[in-house]
Amino acid sequence: MEKDGKNKTSGTTGATKEGVVMNRRDLLKTSLGIGAVAAAGAFGLHLTGSKVEAAPLRQLPKKWDEEIDVVIVGSGFAGLAAAAEASAAGAKTVILEKMPTYGGNSIINGGVYASWDDEYHLRQKLNLGNDSVDQHKADTLKGGDFYGFPELVEILAKGATPALNWMIKDGGLKIRQTVTRAGGHSAYRTHTCIEGVGRGYTEAIKKIAEGKGAKVRLGTEVTWIWRKDVNSPVAGVEIKTPKGKKNIKIKKALILASGGFSRDIKMRAAFNPGIVPEFNCTNHPGATGEMLRFAQSIGADSLQLAFIQLYPFAEPETGILDTPAVYPFNGVGYGLVYVSKKGKRFVNELERRDVCSFAQIKLGDKPTYSIFNEEMVTKMGGTKEEVEKGIKKGRFIKAETIAELAGKLKIPADALEDTIKKHNQYIKDGKDPECNKPMTKSMIPLDKGPFYGIAQWPAVHHTMGGLRIDKDARVIDIWGEPIPRLYAAGEVTGGVHGSNRLGSNAIPDCVVFGRIAGANAAKEK
Amino acid sequence: MTRTFVNTIVVTLFFLLVLSGGDARAAAKGSASKQSCAACHSEFSSLLPKAHPPVTGKDVTACTKCHAPDAKVTAKPKPYSARLHLSHTQPGAEVDCLACHTWKPGKSLGVKGTKANLGVLSKEGMEETKKIFASWSSSRYLDAHHGKKNVTCSGCHEGKVPEQGDSVENARCLACHGDEEKLAKKTEPKDFPDRNPHKSHLGTVNCTVCHSAHKASKTYCLDCHTKFNMKIPFGEGPQAKPAAGAKAK
Repeated sequence: MEKDGKNKTSGTTGATKEGVVMNRRDLLKTSLGIGAVAAAGAFGLHLTGSKVEAAPLRQLPKKWDEEIDVVIVGSGFAGLAAAAEASAAGAKTVILEKMPTYGGNSIINGGVYASWDDEYHLRQKLNLGNDSVDQHKADTLKGGDFYGFPELVEILAKGATPALNWMIKDGGLKIRQTVTRAGGHSAYRTHTCIEGVGRGYTEAIKKIAEGKGAKVRLGTEVTWIWRKDVNSPVAGVEIKTPKGKKNIKIKKALILASGGFSRDIKMRAAFNPGIVPEFNCTNHPGATGEMLRFAQSIGADSLQLAFIQLYPFAEPETGILDTPAVYPFNGVGYGLVYVSKKGKRFVNELERRDVCSFAQIKLGDKPTYSIFNEEMVTKMGGTKEEVEKGIKKGRFIKAETIAELAGKLKIPADALEDTIKKHNQYIKDGKDPECNKPMTKSMIPLDKGPFYGIAQWPAVHHTMGGLRIDKDARVIDIWGEPIPRLYAAGEVTGGVHGSNRLGSNAIPDCVVFGRIAGANAAKEK
Repeated sequence: MTRTFVNTIVVTLFFLLVLSGGDARAAAKGSASKQSCAACHSEFSSLLPKAHPPVTGKDVTACTKCHAPDAKVTAKPKPYSARLHLSHTQPGAEVDCLACHTWKPGKSLGVKGTKANLGVLSKEGMEETKKIFASWSSSRYLDAHHGKKNVTCSGCHEGKVPEQGDSVENARCLACHGDEEKLAKKTEPKDFPDRNPHKSHLGTVNCTVCHSAHKASKTYCLDCHTKFNMKIPFGEGPQAKPAAGAKAK
């Protein structure tokens, strides 16, 4: 198994059921054994975990129902970006989406995008300090405890800006005229789309992809990857449609863009027992790990599957990451403060998501709150309308004074007043002796109302580990060689974010590597 | 696209009205003579409009020799309609399909005495189709609601007999149920206008994600937003909601 350098889950308790996913050593053994058998006959590789483990040898289909140049699994950021590039290069491209709606987790994503620059040079115009590709790369590597592969992280950091501008110019993406500094980032580089939700990006990329002729097939689940033996390219996929099972022959390449496995309770606990079933989850129900297992079963290598991220600021009851739940993430660069139910700060708000999450869990007193004021709203990429809607739904609590807000949140008023007063002073002093937060000039003291509070609690959010890929987005097998005609991009891959993904790095990861995968897939002969 | 059978004025309306009575039930009991209309209908004049010329014959060809089945609704005189199924597929009073249809399993389905080709129907497909017809004529679901409004298979499934797994395109639904904006306005909740299933954060979704014709409809939103109070017409359990005022344009 991969090195598990950090036990991030100490402090949580709870038993886990026996995992169903085979470990690497088992996989290696089976692969070698079956590889020899399969190479001798016309059998397809069949090694998988879970239910299909006991399946008999499956013969490759004698005839194919259909032939497609580039098949992409998943219609989120990565899949759509891959489809856009593959079809732009002239390949007949089809996205297979198992859910009845497109977009997976991407369409419900919080809509934040890290990029050192943009079409409008917003950071420079708003006088928010310096940034560069190198700085973005360094933050990302550090934020993941250096488990991320520098050559992959560099591609993300370098590709983020051109990809953002591509969506703006070719896809009609509209972004809000502000940039925020989010946890773990050392610069103001987090952009937000007008919609304030991932749909802004998915619609833009879908528009580009469909404009180039790519098709999305909804309700179409991949149930097998066909590969004759461990020396052969990927041959095709078996799919389940409302009209029954079918086999598609792949002429150029298969791209896996199927997302993570945060909703696969057994799988996530199998790799990280601290991620107990009781945790809420921000993901859509389709975020399960079967494509990862199918890829493993044909010899694909995977890594760092124990690294599973909690989103620190989800809606405490349901775990949903709604529009208000993005505010605690976006506001910290402008002075938003996190407090416990006792009215005390418990973490440096500019810390990474894992730190913020486990600081809350350690408190053991659900929920915690973000406190901010009116002046911060538009600067942090929010809008007045969003705040009004959030108030109506009971998500944001509004008050004219800190004491009144404390009363409404059922926090001791004197404690909250004291906390805010001290924090205001830290902003003035440019120093935070309490939590050691790197204070910036852009932070706003909470001395003028109206004030707002919002409840928050961690929920399972992102699986950093996944399939091993190289710089060309080719999937690497357990012997270190690329699997011919197999690519992967986005959350299904591992090795980009290391042990902890920085917030707003997911979309650039997906779009940048999706584009690479799509362009390379189309070049296959 | 607006060519639905709602708008089709059909000669068989009078058949429907009369056949929903006891005659059809009697027919179901007599097995040997099922293949003939005569088992239930001794004559046709009482089923027809007053001005209709007299009709003779023992099966559907009595009608189809003048009224050709025509999905395009251009036939003259007025085309023969699939609405005749409604009274003949009521559970417990089903008439044998082959009373009117010609069928070579896995090859073709037609109408006696005509050249109509309604598509290919396998043995399994025939069984499925019978079930669907029974549902369409009598279920608590969306199909029976359409049946009551005289919308037949082709009202949703254009052209040929639907195959297993066939779905319905949004445009087909919207042809009768108005454009998306108007529809969204109708279902906009007063308390939280953005919790509108027809204008959600998922953008444009297929109608069939929530609305099923031949089984209970189900609000997709509730898969994630478990605490939302949302109801859907022709749903099951707590999701159920009477389709009050749910009128097609």
